[in-house]
Amino acid sequence: MKQARLEARQATVRYKLPSPKPLSRIQRYGLAVLAVSVALGGALLLERFFFRDVEVPLFLFAVAVAAWYGGMGAAVVALVLSCVSFDYFFVEPLYTLDVSRSDIPYYTIFASFALLVTWFSTVRRRVEGELRQARDDLQIEVAERTQQASLLNLTHDTIFVRDMSDVITYWNRGAQELYGWTAEDAIGKRAHELLRSVFPAPIEEIHAELLRSGRWDGELQKSRSDGTQVTVSSRWSLRRDEQGRPVAVLETNNDITERERREREIRNLNEELGKRTAELEASNKELEAFAYSISHDLRAPLRHMAGFTELLQKNTASLLNARSQRYVMMILESAQRMGNLIDDLLAFSRISRTETHKTMVSLEQLVEEALTEVRKDTDGRNIVWKVGGLPPWYGDRSMLRLVLVNLVSNAVKFTSTRSQAEIEIGCLKHGQDQVVVFIRDNGVGFNMKYASKLFGVFQRLHPPEAFEGTGIGLATVQRIVHRHGGQVWAEGLLDKGATFYFSLSKSQED
Amino acid sequence: MSTLGRILLVEDDPKDVELTLTALEEYNLANEVIVTRDGEEALDYVYRRGTFSTRSNDNPAVLLLDLKLPRVDGLEVLQQIKSDQKLRMIPVVVLTSSREERDMVASYSLGVNAYVVKPVNFHEFVNAIKELGIFWAIINQPPPGSIKAN
Repeated sequence: MKQARLEARQATVRYKLPSPKPLSRIQRYGLAVLAVSVALGGALLLERFFFRDVEVPLFLFAVAVAAWYGGMGAAVVALVLSCVSFDYFFVEPLYTLDVSRSDIPYYTIFASFALLVTWFSTVRRRVEGELRQARDDLQIEVAERTQQASLLNLTHDTIFVRDMSDVITYWNRGAQELYGWTAEDAIGKRAHELLRSVFPAPIEEIHAELLRSGRWDGELQKSRSDGTQVTVSSRWSLRRDEQGRPVAVLETNNDITERERREREIRNLNEELGKRTAELEASNKELEAFAYSISHDLRAPLRHMAGFTELLQKNTASLLNARSQRYVMMILESAQRMGNLIDDLLAFSRISRTETHKTMVSLEQLVEEALTEVRKDTDGRNIVWKVGGLPPWYGDRSMLRLVLVNLVSNAVKFTSTRSQAEIEIGCLKHGQDQVVVFIRDNGVGFNMKYASKLFGVFQRLHPPEAFEGTGIGLATVQRIVHRHGGQVWAEGLLDKGATFYFSLSKSQED
Repeated sequence: MSTLGRILLVEDDPKDVELTLTALEEYNLANEVIVTRDGEEALDYVYRRGTFSTRSNDNPAVLLLDLKLPRVDGLEVLQQIKSDQKLRMIPVVVLTSSREERDMVASYSLGVNAYVVKPVNFHEFVNAIKELGIFWAIINQPPPGSIKAN
């Protein structure tokens, strides 16, 4: 990482190195004049010391310098100035600009040679310029690439590049973080050896796919530098050169070890859930078989007890004394009571066992039906009924009917000691999601101390000789209400009456 | 008294048999009752097989069938009778302790003619048996091929 950044900085610095600044026009022509003047001065000086014929090489040198540094224009200026100076100072007649015919070939050769030098230097300059341009372009590209490479370091994804013989050529920071190898460690190594990749298919097939479509993706097992295993989702992209030959593979990896683990966990949990459900279903079946057995096998001996006792009573009526007859009566009563208990218990367990069939139900109609049902117990009684409006609600019709029948018959039963019973049925609250229904009576009530015992199976707050019952009615009510996502509760005052409330929720499905 | 149809009682529990016969006796309905103690025997009777191979060639006026029976249970007996072209006309009354809905649904879907839950209370039991006996053995006109005892 550090290395890459250093490279980037170096590239940027090189990129900023100024190229030799091109000279201005005045500078170029000034250079030409200066060069020719120096050459002329030098020639005149040397002539004074009797060095002969040095002026031509000196002027050629001046032209070459002008051409080199000042370009074509400066070279021409230097050439013209050289010719003029040469004619004026060194050609007979001296100090005139006359040119004799015999000197013309000499001048021509001089000019041609000078032009040749100029042309060479121009070509050289152009080539140099092109080279410099090429270098600059290259530097820009390198800088850009390096910058891109450092951008790849910003991502948390694991990215590396390997050539066609699987040797790693690029390794980003994500790769270092995931596998623990630094770029220095990894670059130059064979990727599949370094990471001990485990492929889901033969590597030849994967390569064939990569070469055919230019990409491949799949899940791979790899190893970190510390030897731990990691599962990655791997995507490969093939890079080709301009001729279309494959040159490198860019591989992006995402660590899905955690995801895999969670998926496995979810799978396990689902399996566990399936097992539990099966167990639950089995125990439900058992419960059902149990209830069925009660229904069948427990009732038969009871029926025999009752039947034969009754036959006994009939056949021996004249032989038994009053006390014995009372015993027989008690046996019969107990058998009857046990029959009722079994029936109620079965009905109660059936509520849990059967599925609810929920539809829109008219609660008002259910109250009507409940009142009809308890009519045989209200004959000859003085009961003032107050029935308020109730909304239609979503629920299991027969179950909700049972709730109302139980609560209404309770109210009738526990007001039986009143000369005038008052029973009120109404809706306490009616919202979008919930309705609360109450049944209020002025019966014997109950002590709030025992309110928690009201809804338990076989829990009774009164002795059987005061009020008959099996103690299952309110437990049944509670179970049904719970299956409708509601609550049931009661308020009471001993000897003043009781109010039972139940709520039903709309959204709750079971 | 009016003519009395023959009743085939299929009941494994001897106490239930006795109570049922007592209830039928009470109303003089018991003189033509054949008792079989399991489903196999009941089928032997209606198909005139085994110990019943020599019986006369006619069907009972009504079959009172318990559901929980050894060997072949009541629902199987019902299913065999109701799927047999020659026997399906025999009226079958399920007489059981079971109040379970699935038993009722299964019985009715197999084509049972009546489903009666035996009451625990003896009075009610006697009444139920009496009414069943009177209805099926006396009031109901049995299908052709059933015998009428004298």
